[in-house]
Amino acid sequence: MILVLIAALALLSGVVLAIALRNNVHRGWASIASQGVASACVLAQAIPMLVRGGEARSVYAWSYPVETVAFQMDALSAFFLAWSLPLTLLGTIYAFGYLRPNFKTRNAGVQFALLNVVSLSFIMIYTFESAMPFLLGWEIAALAAWLLVIWEYRNQKIRFAGFNYLVSTHVGMFFLVAAFMVMYSQTGSMDFLSFATLLHTPSSLRDVTFVLLITSFGLKSAFFPFHTWLPRAHSAAPAHVSALMSGVIHKAGLYGLLRFTLLMGDPEPWMGWYLIGFSTLSAVAGVLYTSAQRDLKRLLGYSSTENVGIAGIGFGVGYLGLCWHQPALIALGFGGGILHLLNHALFKCLLFYAAGAVYTSTHTIDLERLGGLSRKMPWTGGFFLLGGLAISALPPLNGFVSEFLIYSGLFSQAAPAGMERGLLVVVGALLAFVGGVSALSMVRAHGITFLGAPRDPAIHSSGEVKAPMLLPMAVHAVGMVALGLLPVVGLSIVNQPATLFLELQPQAHAVAFMKVADGLWPITQIGVLVVALVLVLAVLRRWLVGRPQPASVGTWGCGYPAVSPRMQYTGTSFSRHFASIFETFLPHRERKKLPETCFPAGTGHLNTHCADAVERRMFEILGNGDKTVARMAKRIPEEPRFSFGIGLVVLVTMIGLLLFGTGSLR
Amino acid sequence: MRAAVIASHVLAVLVLPILVLGLMNRTRALWTGRRGPPLLQPYFELARLVRKQSVYSVATTAVFRVGPLVVLATALVGGLLTPLFGVATFRFPYDFVVVAYLWGLGRALLMLSALDTASSFEGMGASREATYAALAEPVLFLTLGTLAMATGQTSFAGLLHVAVQTPGDVVVRAMSVAALLVILQVEAARSPVDDPATHLELTMIHEVMILDHSGPELAALHYGSAIKLTSCAALIATLLNPLAPSDGALRYAGANLVLVAVVAVLVGSIESLVARLRLKAVPQLILVAMGAALVSLLAGTWTGGAPG
Repeated sequence: MILVLIAALALLSGVVLAIALRNNVHRGWASIASQGVASACVLAQAIPMLVRGGEARSVYAWSYPVETVAFQMDALSAFFLAWSLPLTLLGTIYAFGYLRPNFKTRNAGVQFALLNVVSLSFIMIYTFESAMPFLLGWEIAALAAWLLVIWEYRNQKIRFAGFNYLVSTHVGMFFLVAAFMVMYSQTGSMDFLSFATLLHTPSSLRDVTFVLLITSFGLKSAFFPFHTWLPRAHSAAPAHVSALMSGVIHKAGLYGLLRFTLLMGDPEPWMGWYLIGFSTLSAVAGVLYTSAQRDLKRLLGYSSTENVGIAGIGFGVGYLGLCWHQPALIALGFGGGILHLLNHALFKCLLFYAAGAVYTSTHTIDLERLGGLSRKMPWTGGFFLLGGLAISALPPLNGFVSEFLIYSGLFSQAAPAGMERGLLVVVGALLAFVGGVSALSMVRAHGITFLGAPRDPAIHSSGEVKAPMLLPMAVHAVGMVALGLLPVVGLSIVNQPATLFLELQPQAHAVAFMKVADGLWPITQIGVLVVALVLVLAVLRRWLVGRPQPASVGTWGCGYPAVSPRMQYTGTSFSRHFASIFETFLPHRERKKLPETCFPAGTGHLNTHCADAVERRMFEILGNGDKTVARMAKRIPEEPRFSFGIGLVVLVTMIGLLLFGTGSLR
Repeated sequence: MRAAVIASHVLAVLVLPILVLGLMNRTRALWTGRRGPPLLQPYFELARLVRKQSVYSVATTAVFRVGPLVVLATALVGGLLTPLFGVATFRFPYDFVVVAYLWGLGRALLMLSALDTASSFEGMGASREATYAALAEPVLFLTLGTLAMATGQTSFAGLLHVAVQTPGDVVVRAMSVAALLVILQVEAARSPVDDPATHLELTMIHEVMILDHSGPELAALHYGSAIKLTSCAALIATLLNPLAPSDGALRYAGANLVLVAVVAVLVGSIESLVARLRLKAVPQLILVAMGAALVSLLAGTWTGGAPG
């Protein structure tokens, strides 16, 4: 534990230095150096735990109201710490390059100090095992993220996005406080271990606590329908902040879920189904929204909602495995879900960094105005392509490995035959849909931004970004390829955390988690085979036709000679066909003044926008719900309106009586 | 023995697609009252393309050159994993997930190389392909997942052998065949989803994405698409195969090959007799396949999943 303490002190001194030093460059270095020290300390503590397991616990007395502060590190905390701090360090290096143009005019020290504070809050959240300090870490993370988001605070839109985030994250906090209050009222202690006594026995109080916790952690991790703050905040924040929020900070919500699952022991089947349903909804809705966005960072923000949903499906499968006493399901569900968290952190941060590089180079991230950027920014384009393929879970990259584990759980024969197995197959099909739509969105995002020809002559790209911004992307890309081609590496990382969940059931004959790894060797072989085949084919082509001729002709215009880049498919037109099928979810808004006659005098304009249906409807109901209800009521014809009302009252009474009578409502 | 099986499977992956494509073209010619080209005609066309120089547009980047190779490579590996002779040469648990995602990788690169040309027509094709692929993916997984559930198997080798014992099994088998047939039409861009022989760019899906490819790249795309078509046909054939591997490996494999040919003739006949659907109606066709897959799932759940 002493190493973690040193890490915390290093981070704190980094905060002080980042604020106290006079020069932005020095401030940045202070932050990077202190985070480097902290990461090294934390890794030195966490890696042995990830290899061998075991735990460290120490309790300190504290005066009222906290009573005691318990530190605990087990494999789960070690797993989260082991990548959260180093990835934040990479984000800080990226920030150094991203904020560089502002170094002359702005004080970037606050940003660097806040990045240190975020790292510090990770140490607090992942090691404190008492309710009060845990909440403290939770709140510090939320406030630091908010302050990081509003870097461009002079812009009213960005202040609004930040405020929106602040409110949402505190609504989530209320649910968490409520859950802790329920547990405290029963156990009289703030220590997580004492909560376990309440959570171990099935009772209606436990059910309520579970729902409160899921809601709170769902809000933190931006599950649908609690996601509305996320795309706003992510498009407003600087790129490194969006990356860290989406990839690293919000994983705290899922950490909370896992931590309380460990305390709970044996869940009930409905909890597993609830989690699976909630997560599937999140994955499907999130991915639908990614398909039609025209703001690159907004698109990536929605994809976070999708990916936490995918991880949540894994956890749900694990829950069901715990209920049905099926070690295979526990291993595949929790192992796949936990690995997906790491994978998502790797590719999502990379994608946000690439989006930030696009912004730095062109000062816009509007898909409709970009195009052909990979000529100007070959590295960024290549990294974005890798990240896009990985996030669509395509082999041989890392996203595929974790989704493969989750699929293995869903199609497993370990589930009880009949209804349950059928439902899991349906979830598997929905996950496949998520994969297909994600491929559409990422092909669209990469193809429209980086390929083709520039769409707007007013946009000038200043070329490839500098090394501090490219380096973090390269590190992420290496991680993605390594975890994708060698699934055994990823599995050894999640081995000990997943074993914690397997050990929840001593009666189940202990299954070594690493046995799962044997089933993954074919993925390595196939990945290598595909890469090798592509190389062989490239050599074959060279042998057949010799050196490629330099490009000399324009693209064939199908007989039309006056082709212009403005005629290319845009982001909106690319997704229009798909979005029109899901019009309810993806309302398409247009503001237009089209030329009218055959020989129009002036110029027209067309502005398209994909609104967030959930947010819109939510505000409609909150803002003018009474009017909406009145309008809907008016649609019922005058004559039977009264009878409808009576019928409704009778129906509600009957259902109520039925529920009371059968004892379903305690 | 094992070496001979592997060699014959590799040979089948390489040769069978050409014959299947030739057979389909012959079928269409016969329906229109012509004699049609020789069965090996697709081979001659590929050989001609391979000897040509490629022409690249000034708008394109490396993605345009690598894309076709990835399409061919993924199709080849996918072909190795599918049971062309009804028995899988290479098998591991959940290999069907890998095959579906390999196809996805090839498709993503194909769409990207289409967008790379800066042509509005090719963007249009990519948009359509992405839409239909996203809709077809859940149908494929629902069908294969149901078959895995009904047979208690987790790889292609076993899950396509549905034992017919109860009426429920018959429904599972029939509905899965129907769903897979639509999957084949979508994945391999055959009529009524897409018309490979159309001449109007505005109505194309697959062909319009490869308008700008030429020479060996075009050959790789055509070949890859034919291999995917054959893999899909082999899935249907294995599902229809009335024999079991225990009836003698050679007889079983022979029956499977005959059934692949039957599927090819069937797809060719559908192409000749059914008009191409309007683009708006394609999602409805996929919805029908989804319905079939759901019925199959319900029947599978009803029978309660067989052994395992």
